[in-house]
Amino acid sequence: MKKTFVQGIITILLFFGTWFTLSQINWVKTLNIRQVTNKTEQKLGDLYWSVFKNTEKDNNNPYVVLSIDSIVTHLCKANQIDRNYIQVHVFNNDEINAFALPNGHLIIYKGLILDSDNQEELTGVISHEIAHIELNHVMKKLITEVGLSVLVSITTGSGGSEIIKETAKVLSSTAFDRKLEKEADIKAVDYMLNAQVNPKPFADFLYKLSDSNSEHPDYLQWIRSHPESKERAEYILEYSNSKETEYKHILSDDTWSKLKEKLTE
Amino acid sequence: MIHIKPFSYKPGEHEAEAASNSYLMSVIAIVVGLPLPIINLIATLIFYFGNRKSTYFVRWHCSQALVSQISMLFINSFGFWWTISIIFTDATISNRYIAYMITAIVFNLTEFIATIYTAIQTRKGIHVEWWFYGALTDIICKS
Repeated sequence: MKKTFVQGIITILLFFGTWFTLSQINWVKTLNIRQVTNKTEQKLGDLYWSVFKNTEKDNNNPYVVLSIDSIVTHLCKANQIDRNYIQVHVFNNDEINAFALPNGHLIIYKGLILDSDNQEELTGVISHEIAHIELNHVMKKLITEVGLSVLVSITTGSGGSEIIKETAKVLSSTAFDRKLEKEADIKAVDYMLNAQVNPKPFADFLYKLSDSNSEHPDYLQWIRSHPESKERAEYILEYSNSKETEYKHILSDDTWSKLKEKLTE
Repeated sequence: MIHIKPFSYKPGEHEAEAASNSYLMSVIAIVVGLPLPIINLIATLIFYFGNRKSTYFVRWHCSQALVSQISMLFINSFGFWWTISIIFTDATISNRYIAYMITAIVFNLTEFIATIYTAIQTRKGIHVEWWFYGALTDIICKS
């Protein structure tokens, strides 16, 4: 009986030992698994980016580009995010919206910057979108909403431009599921705290937009695609209150007001 | 891992054939129901119940085939549902997953080879006891 028990234990240990030992090898890299998905993401990113580039007007004002770039670079540096991967684009659109596309494209609408009372509010939304990118939510959303087969047909060129345009709307105007939104919110607060940016204005921003939702609903695209704003603001506040730290501004007050001026020109 | 041991009596031709078939059942079921880990267990289980009242040699080998299949069921079911979760949910392919699948394949292959070898030997009336499973069968199966 004892011998059987010992043999059983050895067999179980042999199984878990083999599993553990083999887990030490980086199979994902050795077998190029992620590279294949990365290539699909790269192609999708380029395709969707070309859709928005053709339909929206890019803001190339160097002051605007550099100011937004400073915020993104500061966030990336403080959180060890590969800055080169995030490609920021500011569009001259009055809607209050920002969203992420595959392959690290981050689109910010002029309306969002102008509606932000301070730079922390904008930094919060940018952090939230970077979190979606870093947590691979964009591809997950596309696979859930559009389906893997459609995505593959798009990348192989058999999908047709209409499908690309239709699915692009999914990225700019529909919500991620609640779990992913919360994950991105919490990650965004972490990013902000690491970058010594006060996350409370981000929560205020959500409160503000949810209150003013009824006043000018047409422009509040970001809030419409991000429901339950009050609830989100509450858990953002709760989470950030537990992690008090010293805060500073990324842009000087002067730069922030000048950025807004440049956008209204 | 595999021991040829003398059995308490010399099995007859009919017994050797039935005992050998208990292993062949699981091999055939593997071919039929490869993606579904439960199929080969069910096949072995049916054969086991069919031979419950048979001679000791046949019962012993049916039991050894069955207990080995039960442990493989745990390994394969876990791998099966992990794969399903990767295909249909947010789970992604990780080093741990690939390592698990390789381990599962190695264990399945070992069991597969041992099953074929034992099926051949028992057909000749030779008694073959596996590491751990042989001793476990001794406890379960009484003459």
